[in-house]
Amino acid sequence: MAYRLLIVDDSPAMRSFIRRVIDLSGFELSSCWEASNGIEALELLRSHWVDAILSDINMPGMDGEEFLRHLAADELLRAIPVMIISTDGTDQRIERMLALGARGYVIKPFRPEVLREALEKTLAVPCD
Amino acid sequence: MTKTEIEHALAECAAQVLERMFFVCIHRENEPTASEVDSEWICEVGFAGEPSGHLGLGIGHKAASLIAADFLGEDQASLSGLQIGQVVCELANMVCGAVLSRIESGTTFRLDSPRLLPAWRSSGADAAVRLVIPEAGILNVIFSAERPVCPMSA
Repeated sequence: MAYRLLIVDDSPAMRSFIRRVIDLSGFELSSCWEASNGIEALELLRSHWVDAILSDINMPGMDGEEFLRHLAADELLRAIPVMIISTDGTDQRIERMLALGARGYVIKPFRPEVLREALEKTLAVPCD
Repeated sequence: MTKTEIEHALAECAAQVLERMFFVCIHRENEPTASEVDSEWICEVGFAGEPSGHLGLGIGHKAASLIAADFLGEDQASLSGLQIGQVVCELANMVCGAVLSRIESGTTFRLDSPRLLPAWRSSGADAAVRLVIPEAGILNVIFSAERPVCPMSA
């Protein structure tokens, strides 16, 4: 099955790296969109359905926490599994993001295989 | 945390980031002083938490081009200055996050967007490490907190 993904990160270099890691790991993608913050991501989701969202936390405009709240408040968008990719590896942050609805959490720096495994797990979780 | 402990955390986190995300191994040099001479790319990341402060990262052009090419999967010759700068910023962001995740283990923190600087700040750093990227150059990392860092929880 080919998946449609949305990568949300304010760093163009990190978005490019994540995309490359997913491509090299053999993950089959039919489409991969990119956004630099939550506002851009929500705008994009109005016209494109995705199977999973990979999002950073610290982003100008709308950060990852607010983005998750917006997704949770939307009857349709709340069904999309979100995996957080962040440099913040504190227990409090991880618990907070999972409580807000994130299905997975990958701490940067990560090994490529860790990203793939986490993404597979995130996509396998049944939606409510 | 003592200065030595923070420097140990800086060195370990930088090594971990470079090994996992850039596929580059580094080793620490004995002289723990940031040098302006070999840092053509200087980036700073401010952070708010307990404590607040900033992390600075400086790297020579040759080493910056090498890691940018590895990170983006492109030839060094084809990289623009903008691309190299973005990768240096991302490197600083990841090192800062990794260090804070260690020393602020009991709290959350917030990182500002990394920004490139024309020169190192004149104010002194609480801790500094000088790391060698073999056959490429030097990576300097400095850490400065507004007040002493609380002891790391067990």
